[in-house]
Amino acid sequence: MLRFILKKFLYSLLVLAGVVMLVFFLFQGFGDPSRLVMGQTGDSATQANIRKELYLDQPKWKQFLYYVNDISPVCVHSIEEIQKKKLKGFFIGGHEKFGLKIPYLRQSYQSKREVWNILMQALPGTLMLAIAAMMIAVLIGIPLGVVAAVRQNSWVDTSAIFSSIIGISAPSFFMGIIIAYVFGFVFSGWTGLHISGNWFDIDDATGARRLTLQNLILPAVTLGIRPLAIITQLTRSAMLDVLEQDFVRTAYAKGLSKRTVIWKHALRNALNPVITAVTGWFAELLAGAFFVEYIFGWQGIGKVTVDALEKLDYPVVMGSVLITASFFILVNILADILYSFVDPRVRIG
Amino acid sequence: MEPLISITDLSVDFISENSINPALKNISFEVKRGEIVALVGESGSGKSVTSLSVLQLLPHSAKYTSGKILFSENANESEDLLLKDPVALAEIRGNKIAMIFQEPMTALNPVITCGKQVTEAVQRHQKISYTEAKKITLEWFRNVKLPDPAKVFNRYPHQISGGQKQRVMIAMAMCCHPSLLICDEPTTALDVTVQKTILQLIRDLQQQSGMGVIFITHDLGLVAEIADRALVMYRGEIVEQGPVKELFSHAKHPYTKALLACRPANHNKPERLPVVSDFLTIADEPKILIADRSENIPEQRIKVQGQVLLRAENLSVWFPAKKNFFGTPLEFTKAVDNVSFEVFKEETLGLVGESGCGKTTLGRTLLRLIEPTSGKIFYNNTDLTQKKKEEMLSLRKEIQIVFQDPYSSLNPRLMIGPAIAEPLKVHKIISQQKGRKEKVVGLLEKVGLNADHFSRYPHEFSGGQRQRIVIARALALSPSFLVCDESVSALDVSVQAQVLNLLNDLKKEYGFTIIFISHDLSVVHYISDRIMVMNKGKIEETGPAEKIYSDPSSEYTKKLIASIPKGIVA
Repeated sequence: MLRFILKKFLYSLLVLAGVVMLVFFLFQGFGDPSRLVMGQTGDSATQANIRKELYLDQPKWKQFLYYVNDISPVCVHSIEEIQKKKLKGFFIGGHEKFGLKIPYLRQSYQSKREVWNILMQALPGTLMLAIAAMMIAVLIGIPLGVVAAVRQNSWVDTSAIFSSIIGISAPSFFMGIIIAYVFGFVFSGWTGLHISGNWFDIDDATGARRLTLQNLILPAVTLGIRPLAIITQLTRSAMLDVLEQDFVRTAYAKGLSKRTVIWKHALRNALNPVITAVTGWFAELLAGAFFVEYIFGWQGIGKVTVDALEKLDYPVVMGSVLITASFFILVNILADILYSFVDPRVRIG
Repeated sequence: MEPLISITDLSVDFISENSINPALKNISFEVKRGEIVALVGESGSGKSVTSLSVLQLLPHSAKYTSGKILFSENANESEDLLLKDPVALAEIRGNKIAMIFQEPMTALNPVITCGKQVTEAVQRHQKISYTEAKKITLEWFRNVKLPDPAKVFNRYPHQISGGQKQRVMIAMAMCCHPSLLICDEPTTALDVTVQKTILQLIRDLQQQSGMGVIFITHDLGLVAEIADRALVMYRGEIVEQGPVKELFSHAKHPYTKALLACRPANHNKPERLPVVSDFLTIADEPKILIADRSENIPEQRIKVQGQVLLRAENLSVWFPAKKNFFGTPLEFTKAVDNVSFEVFKEETLGLVGESGCGKTTLGRTLLRLIEPTSGKIFYNNTDLTQKKKEEMLSLRKEIQIVFQDPYSSLNPRLMIGPAIAEPLKVHKIISQQKGRKEKVVGLLEKVGLNADHFSRYPHEFSGGQRQRIVIARALALSPSFLVCDESVSALDVSVQAQVLNLLNDLKKEYGFTIIFISHDLSVVHYISDRIMVMNKGKIEETGPAEKIYSDPSSEYTKKLIASIPKGIVA
């Protein structure tokens, strides 16, 4: 098991290296970002300074090495660099220090804030939204799929299929608008929810933060609809397969009740395709869901990224791509471990 | 005294959207306490439906249209199982009536440990703690002679062998001391040597507990070994029943006679195997057949010591069993281990061995469907292992293979005509589509089908017909060498007889060479000129079929032959 994780981890480092290279050459490989940083005004001396600060006066391969050194947790930096970039971590050595640090994603061109901080501020929102949406999808989708399979061709089954087809075909920006309008505006008095709002609010009087988690409900439901529909269908078809199998008959022959047979014996055997869907969707939601975040005014990675793209704020875009890629890799390793947990026949190694 | 179970006038229909198929027609029989009753018949005869209907484990499409299943646990009163509600039925299932199924591979839940699956059954019917249930389970694991019960308890089904799985199934069925045990083909999927020990176990347990047993099988040889009485089923009806001895010596119904006669164990090549239709059409005058058999004195088997067609030299196929961190194999499973043999032109070489002995791997390696690890294969004195992929293509015409399972070796989305024509197209033998169709129709007629079958899909055919189609496909290229990998193992005896006859006829006509791979010694004995016995990747012995069968020299072959159910009542 450990060996497997280590192996996967090494593979994922390769993948990350590929992503880093791609990201760097897409956003920094061509052109001169110094004008973006400088804005409308500024003389050639300022521009030269900016170029020096961003290493733009160096050859491309050196720029790349500097970039890798900045984002890598294992790094070599001089004392001045550490102070200037406010690097956090452990360093040893003389003038040139070797150390372990939190990845330095550089500064935003626009706000001059550190990209790491910008992203870390948006991350909890995205995490909460993704987890909540997946919880809705899994906790409703799997039982619904099981019930639909057990009562195949009954009204439960047909209506589950029918509504899941609607769920799959409705785009989230469209569902988002409808849900926001209906539950956050028309029935707002009854539901107590608003069209938009973040997960915390700042108290006008004291300036302290307070949690406003009820704002999570509408965007999570909106985001959960499609995975919910897909999970329902996958669970249903996998269960239909499993219920035909010999060991289900054996379980009945033992005298077990229908409930035990279905939930204990059959369901675990049907979970493999469901895990693939759940983890895939989860990873995708971690990349942020721009439309939903935008409609509901939720602070998340998706909104930050699109805003940054609009302003050509490349360091932010690059940082969010790297973080998203890391999440994908993590979730994939998690999925592999889950497979072996659910089905002992999946051999790890 | 009431019999343990008494089934009267039972009829079962399967209802689909637009048709009603009767599966059982008014069957009646009873099983007494301490009696082993065998239900014999071929696939589709309704024997499994009968056994499943006792516990009402049939799918929802089955409807019980008439009859009673009276179960009497304590000799005096009896109750109709068909009138029970699901909750009461669940109390009986696994507790008073238990079942063992055919496929131990699929009948156990793959994601739950063996021990848990048995304790679950114990706890379902007895109000005891998990520790006590575990104790009972381990006790039963010892009773069914599982090696190292404590270890098996924590194993998942895929980690133990087929025979061990069936033992776990038996432990699961026996753990609540049922008064009736239903065994649905419990040994069909197992090797003969394993089959022998499992049968012994079932008989021992039956004698200890005095329970009644319904034993379902298609193998008449087994019936003679295990049962007191036998019922012969044909198309949903019981056509004959009686004590086993009587049934074997004085079979009355033509179908029973046919079943007894078409087993290859009773015949020698080049005698044709009788098939069921021989009997059912001439049902009025069964004498003809007996006369036939006495006249048909087996000719000498062909003495083949002629030209060597294929020669394997020090052939090994190893699969990596354990790898290190960088994927370099550390240990190997030696599926085929340093094997050398020769195949003579126009002979039939039988290759026997138990599952896992490497016979299938060897067969596929000869076609280079699996790459050999080392060694040489000479075909007509050219080394196949040295050939490049493109050069192999021209040789593939020469060497064809017929697989075991006719259900999965045909593409379900491809009509059989185009399926047979495909090799002709690939090898550019006939370029015109019309010409190809003519050739395919000719082949279909050769294997006993006709032109109407050209544009039908595989699911429209029976198992035997599908195997004929697969043979026709192999023959399309007029190969001179045919590998038959368990080609008749999935078929009923009577259908098996048809396919074996067909192979013999075709061989006479085309004169090709066959390697016939099978786990069934009696089939191999019937069809082969020479037999090669494999065990654990090595060749145990090779020799003329008659000699190996009657006078084997290696211990392993002796054991193998001793395990075959003789089917003769002493």
